[in-house]
Amino acid sequence: MREADITPLGDAALVVRSPLARELLADLAARPLPGVREVVPALDVLTVLYDPLSMAGESLAAGLGARLARLHPEQDGTGRTHVLPVTFGGPDLGWCAGQAGLSEPEFVAALCAVRLTVAFLGFTPGFAFLTGLPERLRMPRLSAPRERVPAGSVALGGPWAGVYPSETPGGWRLVGRTDAVLFDLARPQPVLWRAGDRVRFAVADA
Amino acid sequence: MLEVLRPGLQTTVQDAGRRARALGVPGGGAADPLALRLANALVGNSPGAAALEVTLAGPTLRFGAGTLVALCGAPFTAALDGQPFPVGRTVAVEAGQTLALGGTARGARAVLALRGGLSGQEAFGSRGTDLRSGFGGHGGRALRAGDRLAWLPLPPATPPRAFLSPDLHTPTGPHVTLRVLATPEATPGLLDALTGQTFRVSGQADRMGVRLTEAVPAPHDPARVSLPNVPGAVQLPPDGRPILLLPDAGTHGGYPTPLVVAAADLPVLGQLRPGDRVSLREVTRAEAHAALRQQEHEVRQAETALAWWYAGQREAPHKSRPPR
Repeated sequence: MREADITPLGDAALVVRSPLARELLADLAARPLPGVREVVPALDVLTVLYDPLSMAGESLAAGLGARLARLHPEQDGTGRTHVLPVTFGGPDLGWCAGQAGLSEPEFVAALCAVRLTVAFLGFTPGFAFLTGLPERLRMPRLSAPRERVPAGSVALGGPWAGVYPSETPGGWRLVGRTDAVLFDLARPQPVLWRAGDRVRFAVADA
Repeated sequence: MLEVLRPGLQTTVQDAGRRARALGVPGGGAADPLALRLANALVGNSPGAAALEVTLAGPTLRFGAGTLVALCGAPFTAALDGQPFPVGRTVAVEAGQTLALGGTARGARAVLALRGGLSGQEAFGSRGTDLRSGFGGHGGRALRAGDRLAWLPLPPATPPRAFLSPDLHTPTGPHVTLRVLATPEATPGLLDALTGQTFRVSGQADRMGVRLTEAVPAPHDPARVSLPNVPGAVQLPPDGRPILLLPDAGTHGGYPTPLVVAAADLPVLGQLRPGDRVSLREVTRAEAHAALRQQEHEVRQAETALAWWYAGQREAPHKSRPPR
């Protein structure tokens, strides 16, 4: 395996680029490294924010490299699976089905058959970038974002699928909506999902 | 109880911020974290206790009970029942007194700490207010006239007579230099353009970021994937006008980030106001680290001395009387 790609970002963070980024995130959550303040995932990337007063960047990089060298790709089924009931029929559903060369029911069935994975969270609290869309279901983003996308909207944008946890502007194609509550401060775990979790969409009961 | 008579321009409850970026939640917390630590130390609080962050034009507040307060950060004018109120010093206020914060000629923000620390909604381990998502602090929003805030109980104490050394105050404009570190996205040409001129802070300056007015030739990379942001990241959107990220910035960003402000200068970044002039000076990681160590040494000395003052009162309560 090639040497880990770990580069500094400012004087209090390191960027780790690795196909094992998600496994490293889980490993660091289970066994934290001293001096590490936060570990933030992106696609095949972790940004590690650390306290430069208690940890030198070089030794942290060495520690992270050593952790990576011992990790293996995650086995299937280790994450949780969330099944989200979706009422399909957003403003862009017909357009997306046409783009995919499918009828609307065929498009919905194809989307519900996909096993998605939470690649990382970001953009707004509770928003998850869901990866795993086959090429045919990948939709170009709108050329100009909508000013308001309703909370619960199920959307497709580039290689990603996502669900808007709250009303925000958004440039993805809207194909449905869900009543699943993705973000609720009253819950012990306010955010529904974590990086690595599996997600499936299901047609909601009428 | 603290009653808000006038809210000021943007007064929010802030503390040391949260660590939930992995859940898409911004860091938040005081934009000038040194001012927060020093103000808390002056009233005998833990370093990250929740306090009021005031912006450009401060609030008018009436105290329903006596306590100790301290104001740190930019040199705001202030008056307690019409009498001048100092920055960087512990003041005992009595029930019924009114503290009116004015404006500041330099810098943007100050922190008003109360002994015990403010209560308020905690979210992801912090009482800081996230204005964009509307949670934390006082209803997830800036203060309004008529709001009432509570603070947490701590034993009464006699205020220390010490003034903070002026060296400890965060430097404020109108012209500041920020030390920056280059990232792998900084080409030599881009680095020259960013560090070779003086920028001006535009009117787009809030707790999410500070937009600069002058443009540099921005690299065009529509395929760049979103990466996690770090505090002090200097983002370059397609129009080439840099954005310096503050605590409420989103957790991930798609723009190239050729520079990051050194950790030691994040408090200075938090004091930028529209019209300020900003120079960016590249430093090595070793220089940035040395600056942070030096700063931490000085701040910890002040924190230790003040903690010693308050600890001494716990051991000899007969020497002090509760301020009333």
